[in-house]
Amino acid sequence: MTGTMSTAVIEEFDNTGVAPRQRAPLVLGEHDLASVTEAVCRVVERPKPPRAWYIAFAVSSAVTGMLFAMIGYLFLVGVGVWGVNNPVSWGWAIVNFVFWVGIGHAGTLISAILFLFRQRWRNSINRFAEAMTIFAVMCAGIFPAIHVGRVWVAYWLFPIPNQMQMWPNFRSPLIWDVFAVNTYMLVSLVFWYVGLIPDLATLRDRATTRIRQIAYGLAALGWRGSQRHWHRYEVAYLLLAALATPLVISVHSVVSFDFAVAQLPGWHTTIFPPYFVAGAIFSGCAMVVTLIVPARQWFGLRELVTRRHLENLTKVILATGSIVGYAYAIEFFTAWYSGNAYELFTFVNRALGPYAWAYWIMITCNVLVPQLFWFKRCRTNLVIMFIISILVNVGMWFERFVIVTTSLSRDFLPSSWDYYSPTWVDILTFIGSFGLFFTMFLLFIRYLPMVAMAEVKTLMPQAHGHGGKGGDHA
Amino acid sequence: MPMSHEMPRSADRDEPHRLGALGPRVVRVAGGIGIAALLASVVLGSLQPDGIERLSRTYLVSFSYVLSLALGALFFVILQHLTRSGWSVVLRRLAETFAATLCWLAILFIPVALSVRSLYGWTQPAADDALLAWKQPYLNLPFFYVRAAVYLVLWAALARFFHSRSTRQDGSGEPALTLSMERWSAPAMILYAFSVTFAAFDWFMSTDAHWFSTIYGVYYFAGSVMGFLALMALAAIALRRAGRLTRSITIDHYHDVGKLLFGFMCFWAYIAFSQYMLIWYANIPEETAWLVVRQSGPWGSLVIVLSVGHFVLPFFGLMSRSAKRRTTVLGLWAAWLLVMHWVDLYWLLMPRWSGEHIPFGVIDVTCLIGLVGVFIAAAARVAARHPLLCVGDPRLAESIALENA
Repeated sequence: MTGTMSTAVIEEFDNTGVAPRQRAPLVLGEHDLASVTEAVCRVVERPKPPRAWYIAFAVSSAVTGMLFAMIGYLFLVGVGVWGVNNPVSWGWAIVNFVFWVGIGHAGTLISAILFLFRQRWRNSINRFAEAMTIFAVMCAGIFPAIHVGRVWVAYWLFPIPNQMQMWPNFRSPLIWDVFAVNTYMLVSLVFWYVGLIPDLATLRDRATTRIRQIAYGLAALGWRGSQRHWHRYEVAYLLLAALATPLVISVHSVVSFDFAVAQLPGWHTTIFPPYFVAGAIFSGCAMVVTLIVPARQWFGLRELVTRRHLENLTKVILATGSIVGYAYAIEFFTAWYSGNAYELFTFVNRALGPYAWAYWIMITCNVLVPQLFWFKRCRTNLVIMFIISILVNVGMWFERFVIVTTSLSRDFLPSSWDYYSPTWVDILTFIGSFGLFFTMFLLFIRYLPMVAMAEVKTLMPQAHGHGGKGGDHA
Repeated sequence: MPMSHEMPRSADRDEPHRLGALGPRVVRVAGGIGIAALLASVVLGSLQPDGIERLSRTYLVSFSYVLSLALGALFFVILQHLTRSGWSVVLRRLAETFAATLCWLAILFIPVALSVRSLYGWTQPAADDALLAWKQPYLNLPFFYVRAAVYLVLWAALARFFHSRSTRQDGSGEPALTLSMERWSAPAMILYAFSVTFAAFDWFMSTDAHWFSTIYGVYYFAGSVMGFLALMALAAIALRRAGRLTRSITIDHYHDVGKLLFGFMCFWAYIAFSQYMLIWYANIPEETAWLVVRQSGPWGSLVIVLSVGHFVLPFFGLMSRSAKRRTTVLGLWAAWLLVMHWVDLYWLLMPRWSGEHIPFGVIDVTCLIGLVGVFIAAAARVAARHPLLCVGDPRLAESIALENA
């Protein structure tokens, strides 16, 4: 970043420099406040989305249809249509649940934790990441709910007073999960919505049709952008960030309790809560990269979501990936150190047993591949980071598969060992959940501003009379 | 567009930013008290039967304490470079200074190395102890000493790397030094993570060699960073009272340190809860045996003290903005948490040898005072040789200008 900053309408201006005396600009190009609004609103205000959007929407809603068809089939016939068997009573459904919940961690990490740490680069990607979080948690919520067997009494998961005096088992982490995930969903939604309000008001004010005016107007809750509104907004936002931060950590910790409170080797280990949280952020940030690399290209947002943003995300991926690698190493070491024959067997079985292929996919994708991010060339090359981000999520899916399946399929009693394979219903349901995720995402891109305009504007020098506050973190 | 203006390099030139005469005085007083207290501990120990064994155990507790503060400091330094942090530049020298005591702590490790037989049961395993026989490839004295040397040399080297580069920058203001520290901070963090974990396993967890917990390293780390942040707050307050760094370290920096202290205090509680709850819930005898001692009898009351004193009270006490922005209030909580951190380590280690009762006595206090005195003297000795502020850091102006919304 030694060159001059003043003329940067070059294709992909490189703002990933490291000169310590100045902070890198986070908004590139000849943007002023109005042009930022224009760049973001343009996507939403187009009378008709591009043809590619229709094609993508058609495909993803068809896949969503398949998801619901599979769920219907499951309801009609029963859980037997899945590959779950006697030792492996948690199959792909739980793997998918943990996978999606994990992805749902990046949004609130970026919007809440990075906000508290004054990582200002988050301002350009938080909206996007929060939306992703909400859709991922929606996908996650489906799986345990349809796994309960008698789905018509799934509401028993909630402690609803009833004439039978029947309550869920509050000592079970499965019920803690219901609370943890629901609370997280609710708070993420509120956080996302509160952040959206000023931008919704912008869309309302720019609306050219009556319907848009009413729809955005209602959603904007009478926002006028007065001093007082902003003051209260910022207080509320800070408080929500402070509330959301422990929630991010609690959700995946509780998910890890689902496994770790058990006595099953490979499930019961004390490092599970922080290890799961790190893995969740790892996968979530990878998903943000997967989605945002093409999105910024297609919707002309390269000057708002710059290479530096992406490079920072890859660093978060490398850091959290290293924590995951640390946890693998410590678990493996302790399996030996504990002198517990079952624990050691489980870990050797993972690496060399019938699921070794899954284990090595996990190690390759989660531990080895992210090492490429040590190189700046990989952290700033869009194609490489896109590929790695997908591999990371492949690896994280396999991590959950390895944890769920290997431990269950070979437990203490060799006579009950069995191999687990998914059925076509398992596979199509999982693919279907991506359909739901992308359908929601396409709707989001079409109707809501994908970048938090109001927040991005605070990154620009125009927002600071005295200058100098426009760069990466405070 | 815009880039941020060049930032002025230097801080307020008139502000006293050297320890000056205070340095040798602190070294003399703290070092004198420390050595006297250590000698008193040895005398106290030799007066009683088994007193030297008793001393070696409380020495390990207090060694783990001062070590954790220095390791917390090293973590803070590495983290600031890893995140290219600007706000913390005015505080970083304090952290670098405390981290630089790690080479002195290597000397303080010698008594631990000499008393392995009274500290680590695995050095004399019973003939029928199959579990210890299994662990013998890892838990054997030669390998133990080799690993200890590796950890201590590594930490001293890391601390020296960051301290020497930073002090070299004091004169030159060379931004390349910042870049080189940033570049090495990532591998340094990885080395740090593994070395601290295995040191915690070797020196502290293996006092009960049958027991194991994968989160143990993280537990020690969480307390370490919290302890160091409390120490840094106190050190900054003490310097301010002594008329040093009165303008560079502003109330906004105290506020930020308070936030981090609050955060790591909660992180400790999270890790402690995770470890406790998972062991309690699964109820597997080989794991619960460790907890049973620590939660029955008087040790059980200590669990309550820790839950309340190490988490609940400071949680509410440090939550408000005004508490973190008043140096007296922040200082009191920091001091309180430093006490709690020692209690935590005492609870972690001591029950292994004392069984049901809490053996707390004068020797624990003298030994703690001794190690802390030597630790402070070592830090003051390092601090006296350099400015108390990273005066050449390219982000110094950014740091001084910090404003908390």
